[in-house]
Amino acid sequence: MDSKRRVLVAGAAAVCLALAVAPAVVSPFLVQFLINLFMLAAMAESWNIIGGFTGYASFGIAGFFGVGAYTTGVLLTAGHWPYPLALPAGGVFAMLLAALIGIAVLRLKGQYFAIATLGVTETMREVVYNLEITGGGSGLNLPMVQSPLPFFYLMFAVLLLSIAVNRRIATSRFGYGLIAIREDEDAASAMGIPTARYKTVAFALSGGLAGLVGGVFAYWITFVDPTEIFKVSWTLRTIIMAVFGGAGTVLGPVLGAAVLASIFEGLSAELVNFAELGSGIIIVVVVLFMPRGLFETVRRGELSFRHLLRQLDEYRA
Amino acid sequence: MLSLQVLVNGLLLGGVYGIMALGMSLIWGVMRIVNVAHGALIMLGAYHAFFTFTLLGWDPFLSLPVTIGVFFVLGYAIQRFLLNRIVRAQLFLTLLITFGLGVVIENLARIAWSSDLRQVTPAYQGAHFELYGINIPHVRLGVFLSAAVLSLLFLLLIERTKLGRAIRATSQELRAAQLSGVPVGHIYAVTFGLGTALAGAAGALWGMLFPITPTMGGPLTLKSFAVDVLGGLGTMMGPLVGGLVLGVIESFTATYVGPTYPNLLSFGLLVLILVFRPAGILGPRGLSG
Amino acid sequence: MTTIFEARAVTKRFGGLSAVSQVSFTLREGEILGLIGPNGSGKTTLVNVLTGALRYSRGEALFRGRSLRGLAPHEISKLGVCRTFQVMKPFRSLTVLENVMVGALFGKEGGARDLASARALARETLALCELLPRADAPADGLSVPERKRLELARALAMRPSLLFLDEVMAGLNPREIEEAVVLVKRIRDAGITLVVIEHVMKAIRSLSDRLMVLYNGEKLTEGPPQEVLAHPAVISAYLGRRYKEQPSA
Repeated sequence: MDSKRRVLVAGAAAVCLALAVAPAVVSPFLVQFLINLFMLAAMAESWNIIGGFTGYASFGIAGFFGVGAYTTGVLLTAGHWPYPLALPAGGVFAMLLAALIGIAVLRLKGQYFAIATLGVTETMREVVYNLEITGGGSGLNLPMVQSPLPFFYLMFAVLLLSIAVNRRIATSRFGYGLIAIREDEDAASAMGIPTARYKTVAFALSGGLAGLVGGVFAYWITFVDPTEIFKVSWTLRTIIMAVFGGAGTVLGPVLGAAVLASIFEGLSAELVNFAELGSGIIIVVVVLFMPRGLFETVRRGELSFRHLLRQLDEYRA
Repeated sequence: MLSLQVLVNGLLLGGVYGIMALGMSLIWGVMRIVNVAHGALIMLGAYHAFFTFTLLGWDPFLSLPVTIGVFFVLGYAIQRFLLNRIVRAQLFLTLLITFGLGVVIENLARIAWSSDLRQVTPAYQGAHFELYGINIPHVRLGVFLSAAVLSLLFLLLIERTKLGRAIRATSQELRAAQLSGVPVGHIYAVTFGLGTALAGAAGALWGMLFPITPTMGGPLTLKSFAVDVLGGLGTMMGPLVGGLVLGVIESFTATYVGPTYPNLLSFGLLVLILVFRPAGILGPRGLSG
Repeated sequence: MTTIFEARAVTKRFGGLSAVSQVSFTLREGEILGLIGPNGSGKTTLVNVLTGALRYSRGEALFRGRSLRGLAPHEISKLGVCRTFQVMKPFRSLTVLENVMVGALFGKEGGARDLASARALARETLALCELLPRADAPADGLSVPERKRLELARALAMRPSLLFLDEVMAGLNPREIEEAVVLVKRIRDAGITLVVIEHVMKAIRSLSDRLMVLYNGEKLTEGPPQEVLAHPAVISAYLGRRYKEQPSA
């Protein structure tokens, strides 16, 4: 086990090193692709904390992504804050807001929770739309930065942070508590886990990380507007990548993001129209055939036509 | 007098909201599935009305029965061949798959019909009449009355027919229904068919009032859910009452607060109600989810 | 022997229905109280109220002099009062060992703080319950008696002072029941006070120091097992009108 671990760590280090020098050697197009990939992976990792470990499928991650983006944006423009302060502030504010909202909505179970979080995102968009300081419907223009390099490294750093948080959770007492909550909340409560508190912390961490991603994203594309930022498809993509890769594992979401983002990039080069259609089809297919995600399915050796077809009957009425 | 006009506008709109939300409440009540593709189905209904009007010259009100028939079959097929496979899976997965289905439908529509705004414009579109100083457009009244008639027919179906009884039995006590020989799989498919038919009809009615685009479905799903939660999820009268209430609230908000605020109110209300009184207006106190 | 637990007129109503009505009893440290009664007599509901899963309608309970009313389940288990579930709820995607580790991590006074000591405690507990060979098996692949022992081990890893066992012997064959009785006695010998809800009469008779009978949510009687089981009201409660209609013994 030790030599296997050493190989994995070495491999991870090599990948990190390669990525670190990538911008110097690869095409600008690939740099943009990688920034996008880091972003999707980081979002998937953020969602994983509340959706994967805790089992509360939040459909509101786009909301906190947007809160981070707008907070950072407003602090940059109207507040004239320097970016190194505005970015963390965006993350912190998103985290605090998530904690507050979590206290209310985490009391709901299953479908109600999902819809409530969806509603929260929509409400956030409408609020931003109606506020002057956020630019209302016309959006917010952020100062231009010529090179994409800072964002490459920033987004990579946020991704590493989100992976680190996930890893820390997975090997901690807190993580055990979250998993217990996911598996059986009543039993978890009877076994001494302070479920309300743990859920709220998980929700807050998830929101905060998503907010950080949003803060980097906003400055990267220099323009934020409510319809684009609070789009349901951010949530959609995040969830499907996390579920596809394996929700509840540390690296599953990253894997899912890497695979799916690459597929979409390949598709949308030619077929811009079909990218979103593709994600919809993939969701349906994954839920039908691989509900445990690619990571788990491969790990269990169930990636064969026979198994996939059998999956079709497992949950039928 | 302005407030009375605002009230009437709200009620007329509320009628559509009600019929829109009814399908979702039915599916939730019987199958415990939140159909996130509901809005997309409404959108298809709108396009259906548009195309039968533009290409075949059918009056949108008269083509409603056809819409209902077509969409019933569509819904039945979706349930039988797709959703049936995951009915017993975790709630989250059923949410995800209907989410995905909605995206697929929406994008197919966008590819097939482009994002251009369409509108159903029958000859009598601009006509209206006055009642005690209140302006009531013919189309709006027609839409409201159609919604009312459809709701009534639906309620009669649920309350007075053998099929309706089977549906109610399945929603309340699945085990008992199964043991009494109710063909649950078939009932699920019929239920989803009915829910889709209602969505399609609602879409056709909506299309007579508002512009039709492929992406109109998303907010309508959420709005239907808001109406259902407000009125009482899983009940039959709940969505109708909730629809009227929400329609009136939105109408007053738009007029007296600002035209960009009604959405904020609906979604905010949805969250607040879920948190503080999940049973809604007509539901039982407390909800076991 | 000190009184470790006292329930005072505990009442739970659901709407107009009294599931538990004015139940009072005390527990001496180290004793085993058997809790019996026909199905629907309110035994599990009583445990749910006492361990915080349901709210009191009336009454209260004191553990070592401290009131438990109003505390959340996790606060109550932190004090050392734990329970097992009648409907077994293992954490399915975790292994047996990991399941027990959850108990070790969150038990009395917050439990173990780090994974290593939790793992050690979990292994000890599994050994006590004779589940150690299955430590790395997925929790959803166990046989019925193994699952029952897992449920027990999870609760034990929390190092409770008072443990409510809810029908741990349901579904076991006679040999397994005997083994279960031995295990429960071993738990008591380790210093834990037990309330055992059970339907298996032979087991409960040999296990309990005292018996308490619930009927229709009320306490019917309590006392030494021999007396209680011979009590006519108890017999008629279990057999119902049928017994009364057969005058000759």
